[in-house]
Amino acid sequence: MQRKQKIFSAVVFMLIIFLMPLIFLISGKKSFSMEENRPLAKKPEFSFSLLADKTYMSDMDSFLSDNFPNRTGWVKTKKFFDRMLGKTIINGIYLADDMLIEKLPEPDYDEVEKSIDAVNRFAEYYGNTKVSFMLVPTSAGVYPDKLPSAAPQLNQREFINETASRLNSDVSVIDIYDTMIAERENYIYYRTDHHWTSYGAYCAYRHASANLGYKAADYNKFDIEHVSSDFTGTFYNKCFYDGVEKDIIDIYNYKNGNNVTSVTQNDGAGETSSDSIYFREYLDGGDKYCVFLGNNKAYTNIKTDSLNRKKILVIKDSYANAFIPFLVNHYSEIAVVDLRYVKNSLKEYINPNNYDQTLFLYNASTFSTDTNVKMAGFTEQ
Amino acid sequence: MVFSSVMFMYFFLPCVLLLYYVSPKKFKNLVILASGLFFYAWGEPVYVFLMLFTTFVDYMAGLFIHKYDKQPKKRTYALLGSLIINLGILFVFKYSGFVADIFGIDIETLPLPIGISFYTFQSISYTIDMYLRKIKVQKSFINYAAYVTLFPQIVAGPIVRYEDVQNEINHRKINGVLIGEGVGIFIKGLFKKLFLANSIGMLWSEVKAMDYSEISVVTAWLGILAFTFQIYYDFSGYSDMAVGLGKMLGFNFPENFRHPYISRSISEFWRRWHITLGSWFRSYVYIPLGGNRKGLAKTLRNLLIVWGLTGLWHGASWNFILWGLYFGLIIIIEKLFLGRKLKRLRPWVGNAYTFILVVFGWVLFDTNTLGDAVSYLGAMFGAGSGFLDTVGAYEFKNYFVLFILCAVGSTEIFGRTVKKLQRYYGVSKIMCYATPIVQAAVLLMCTAYLVDSTYNPFLYFRF
Repeated sequence: MQRKQKIFSAVVFMLIIFLMPLIFLISGKKSFSMEENRPLAKKPEFSFSLLADKTYMSDMDSFLSDNFPNRTGWVKTKKFFDRMLGKTIINGIYLADDMLIEKLPEPDYDEVEKSIDAVNRFAEYYGNTKVSFMLVPTSAGVYPDKLPSAAPQLNQREFINETASRLNSDVSVIDIYDTMIAERENYIYYRTDHHWTSYGAYCAYRHASANLGYKAADYNKFDIEHVSSDFTGTFYNKCFYDGVEKDIIDIYNYKNGNNVTSVTQNDGAGETSSDSIYFREYLDGGDKYCVFLGNNKAYTNIKTDSLNRKKILVIKDSYANAFIPFLVNHYSEIAVVDLRYVKNSLKEYINPNNYDQTLFLYNASTFSTDTNVKMAGFTEQ
Repeated sequence: MVFSSVMFMYFFLPCVLLLYYVSPKKFKNLVILASGLFFYAWGEPVYVFLMLFTTFVDYMAGLFIHKYDKQPKKRTYALLGSLIINLGILFVFKYSGFVADIFGIDIETLPLPIGISFYTFQSISYTIDMYLRKIKVQKSFINYAAYVTLFPQIVAGPIVRYEDVQNEINHRKINGVLIGEGVGIFIKGLFKKLFLANSIGMLWSEVKAMDYSEISVVTAWLGILAFTFQIYYDFSGYSDMAVGLGKMLGFNFPENFRHPYISRSISEFWRRWHITLGSWFRSYVYIPLGGNRKGLAKTLRNLLIVWGLTGLWHGASWNFILWGLYFGLIIIIEKLFLGRKLKRLRPWVGNAYTFILVVFGWVLFDTNTLGDAVSYLGAMFGAGSGFLDTVGAYEFKNYFVLFILCAVGSTEIFGRTVKKLQRYYGVSKIMCYATPIVQAAVLLMCTAYLVDSTYNPFLYFRF
């Protein structure tokens, strides 16, 4: 019997290790994983120099695991076992009851200091533009009670208040925290993604009206269009937890609002233009949030048929992409700069002094970790 | 290359096994040599030539020792030549920076070749045993090189001495039963490494990166206990995989770990932990120095030398040396009186005493500097931030199940239960089919861990 069992063991093992590579060889290779929302590693080109410094081997390892047959299935299996072991955090994502919440790392405060300095310097240097600053909490800051008990988490309220208190008086702070808390029973953050929903952005738009000087449109003036009801975002892509409902993406259309006349974008390599701020082709892809202004570009310029001639510059992360559609109704030109994709200085694209207003719009997660904000303070050229 | 990778499991291994099984007998060692060189070169594309060089040196030394069997002087020169070249290379790559640092000299050091301490020790065992006339000469370079480059054991042990495989390297039987046995051991090792060691190791990598003056007692203990299990399952997992792969190729390697955490004294612990290293130092250092036959003073000296070197073998730093001496000292105390006392107490006292001392040892072993070790030990006794903080409470909850699995798995409970069941029911027909199915399931589960490996470290890069 013992002998028989061992021979069976050998046969089963050999079957598995021989079949798997055969399936690998015949299965198609992809260059992008929709499920994980990232490009997959390509097969490395052979060269002796890559061989000698071992990059060839590590690239080959990434290629093999990225293109493993039914990769997503394996990844989901792994996450399933993680949960079976009682883990409530997977790949940096807390599994709460009805939503996924990101664990924010403790910021590098020296870097944050540089970012704050940059905003102050920007306001001082560009005297002709009125500078506002809005730091939005992420879902982790609004729903700390939903985290697994005793889960370590950055105190976003403290972080945001501390940041605001260090800004000079010529930077006008829009404190959005209490508004988000007041709306927390509503659908203001995606359950599976790190962004706020269009409704969350709408709440901020309404709250910011006094500071930015426009009259926010009433909620019931909007035609709300559900453009997707099966959106799974970046949090899902990290933990593959199916216990949370998929998300709905809404576009808020304002009948009496301004029309967009042109949208030009520049990613550093060249300019592209379109006639809408919505990029609906992304709704068929993995990262459906890109329906708002497309994927992040260094520079976007939106012109409208508004008669009021007001111009605003928005220096931002991707939270602004869902917010800017509301601004369209109040400005004739909106310039949008994402410093994470700018190579040297924002002066490559615009002169802030040509804009009546400048809005810094970041979420607490980006602002506490991104090291590109300091570029806003590079005023010499 | 490491065993726990897609490249190894699903490309290298099937290719090599296919080639190996279909090759006629006289080419099998050539397949082993070629595959071993490929395996090693995948991790060390340049140093593979260094390894080939030392292999050639030891092969030649063996031939010389054999040829000048009647000329003691010449055989001694051959042995010394081999030792100087082997240990010299080991010194240059592994210890020169450390020694220069002690004397305050600034020198450029080269990166450490993977597995150098393992294959050097294996190779040395051949020339020394040739000198001692314990083994027969290997006349074929391919056979000797196949022994050194035998891929299952080249980068992380066990330290297989030439003596252990001298018959099998020339003639070995390969059959389905042995292969099946190897498969079982290999899959067990894969499970230990991927499922237990990597999972619990994530906790230690988090805690290790924290500021030790700000962690609570609970966090500190959780962290070092996580490492305690990580190093055991990682290391014994590698050894199991090596033994299993060896059997698939027709070799029987010595056992390397035997439930070390259930030991009742530190002396016993070291008879169960990394057994092949302990027995190497015993055979080639402790006994040649006189062992325990030359009086108490010399025995103590010999013990301290052996344990200082054992520490140093694990890496060139004061932490490792002190870690070795720490165990040397405890073993001396046990030899003098504590060992006898422990035997008279209840067994669990010995278990607890050993386990706790080993855990303290791991602090010394895996913190980066002596200062870190001291402040970490401090945190374990409350010098950090109180008894319990949110991190500690959260991690305790998060890793509770895994700790239980690791703790139970490190005892003999599982193995004994299986044996009892077998004795009671006999090896039934069900077992005959169930075992391969369970093995296949575990293999597939481990595949999931390979494909999605967010944390899959190789812990022996300093050895």
